[in-house]
Amino acid sequence: MSIEIKNINKGFGSFSALNNVSLDVPTGELVALLGPSGCGKTTLLRIIAGLETPDSGNIHFHGKDATERAVREREVGFVFQHYALFRHMTVFENVAFGLRVRPKHTRPNDAEIKRRVHELLNLVQLDWLADRYPPQLSGGQRQRIALARALAVEPKVLLLDEPFGALDAKVRKELRRWLRRLHDELHITSVFVTHDQEEALEVADTIVVMNQGKIEQIGSPQQVYDQPATPFVYQFLGNVNQFNGHATNGEIQINNTELKINAPELTQNSPVLAYVRNSDIEVYKESQHTTSTINARIQHIHAVGSLVKLELQLSHQSDVIEAELTQVRFKELALSQGDNVFIVPRNIRVFPSTATQ
Amino acid sequence: MSATITQYRKYHSKVGRSRATSESTLVRYSLIGITLAFLGLFLLLPLLAVFTEALRKGFETYFSALIEPDALSAIQLTLTATAISLPLNLVFGVAAAWAIAKFEFKGKSFLITLIDLPFAVSPVIAGLIYVLIFGAQGWVGGWMSDHDFKVIFAIPGIVLATIFVTFPFVARELIPLMQAQGKEEEEAAMVLGANGWQMFWHVTLPNIKWGLLYGVILCNARAMGEFGAVSVVSGHIRGLTNTLPLHVEILYNEYNYAAAFAVASILALLALLTLALKTYVEWQSAKNAAGIEKEIMEREIKE
Repeated sequence: MSIEIKNINKGFGSFSALNNVSLDVPTGELVALLGPSGCGKTTLLRIIAGLETPDSGNIHFHGKDATERAVREREVGFVFQHYALFRHMTVFENVAFGLRVRPKHTRPNDAEIKRRVHELLNLVQLDWLADRYPPQLSGGQRQRIALARALAVEPKVLLLDEPFGALDAKVRKELRRWLRRLHDELHITSVFVTHDQEEALEVADTIVVMNQGKIEQIGSPQQVYDQPATPFVYQFLGNVNQFNGHATNGEIQINNTELKINAPELTQNSPVLAYVRNSDIEVYKESQHTTSTINARIQHIHAVGSLVKLELQLSHQSDVIEAELTQVRFKELALSQGDNVFIVPRNIRVFPSTATQ
Repeated sequence: MSATITQYRKYHSKVGRSRATSESTLVRYSLIGITLAFLGLFLLLPLLAVFTEALRKGFETYFSALIEPDALSAIQLTLTATAISLPLNLVFGVAAAWAIAKFEFKGKSFLITLIDLPFAVSPVIAGLIYVLIFGAQGWVGGWMSDHDFKVIFAIPGIVLATIFVTFPFVARELIPLMQAQGKEEEEAAMVLGANGWQMFWHVTLPNIKWGLLYGVILCNARAMGEFGAVSVVSGHIRGLTNTLPLHVEILYNEYNYAAAFAVASILALLALLTLALKTYVEWQSAKNAAGIEKEIMEREIKE
């Protein structure tokens, strides 16, 4: 089932949580709502579920207006950050709950409920825990039970609110791969909320980057990472350096160095912000004749891991920038702390200085 | 999981035993001693006195004081007043606690203050308010006597006074509990298709049952033992508007000590029963709360 969100506004008191948000979620897709805390992503998810009412705007499920539809009639599955399992019920009863509360004429009989619940528990690979109570389970197990419970009512849409937020790093990684596999098996339209960019990039088909109640960019993980639409997306996804510069005739001046940029719209004389990914900063020991370089001094070297991270102090700016080199390149250059180097930024993206907010 | 539990136990046993965080033996024992002496003097001794005085003239006098018609009617009236006010308080308490814990609305803190009002107001004043409203000279008293309906110096007044003094008990017990539990489980139930009643019956009620029972027990004890407010509205008509505590007072004022203490011993027994029930419920809910606490602690460890 597809979801169309049209011009949703929502405020809490004087705080505007969602500001004219529109979004289409096609059938069968796994969409991530990504953003810092307080950006409105959870509010949007709760509005889709019907747990909050928008101040204005509409939600359509499969083309039909569902804005006024009650939560229990929306046929959504919802997974909470802190699981929200019924603590006085066994795992089995938790999963069976959605079937047992159905009106008599649509309620399956006991044997059918039993079959369905065990099928779901097998799907989440926890059938052996059927008689336990939630407090007896680990966080990862609880979240998988919560997912089985949400799936038991055969929802048309699955909504997950920071599903792995309360879990430790290792379990989180395991579970998100598992969620991806599960989605590939079931193809149920899913929306999940996260503030973890790595999680969104790894799991989602489409990422919706949100900030301050607005959508900044919608795109595939590749698109939002490689072609960020706004400075915010640039800073939120991946490691990036920001330069203050000045644009004239398709060139920008950073640190008294003229650099060619690919931004024909910025030909007039104006202050700009330039963004360069850490891995797009090339470091040389000697000045390059073919291209213009910026002088810098190595302030610190982190050589742990597959990439070497350099902290570089630009000679005319107080800002420190970061560069990433491969171990091979690092050894080739034989760099050490305090060395003066020449850097060449590649793939510079330029935004007018006023677009920072 | 089991590792977390072991850690949790270790942490707690450590806190319990560490000398660094506990007082010296002398301080501990003198504090315990003072408390015990105080309790003995002011609670245990009077309790013993009630039973010795009641039985001073033998079992026969004791029982005859209890089955005397006025005593029986006092017992009956007390039970009636309690039986009416308890369910009303139960419904009101759950509704108020639900509204306060699960919704945001204007005037919420004002509502909480109102619920606490009977704790702050002297019961005698509460009784007087009802006399002022429903009494013969009161606001609606004239109209009521025209229609031959009596509130003051009759059973309705006693019930009203009892409801007034007992109404914070259930709500006060449930509000912090429901606030701590949040509304995620209820939301989960709703999303899974439960209607309001199913959600309350299958999710909310099992989560609050021990707190609810605790509130009801306290409410019951207060309803049966209330003196001040009831005394003002009752009119002390023997066999008609006397509750147990009022009956005790009348007997005592008539120098009928053995009978007064015999009736008082029923109230004392009731208090002991309440205490036992209360301890059991506390123990049960502590078991429940330990579960919740452990969950919260695990959550905190991870964050």
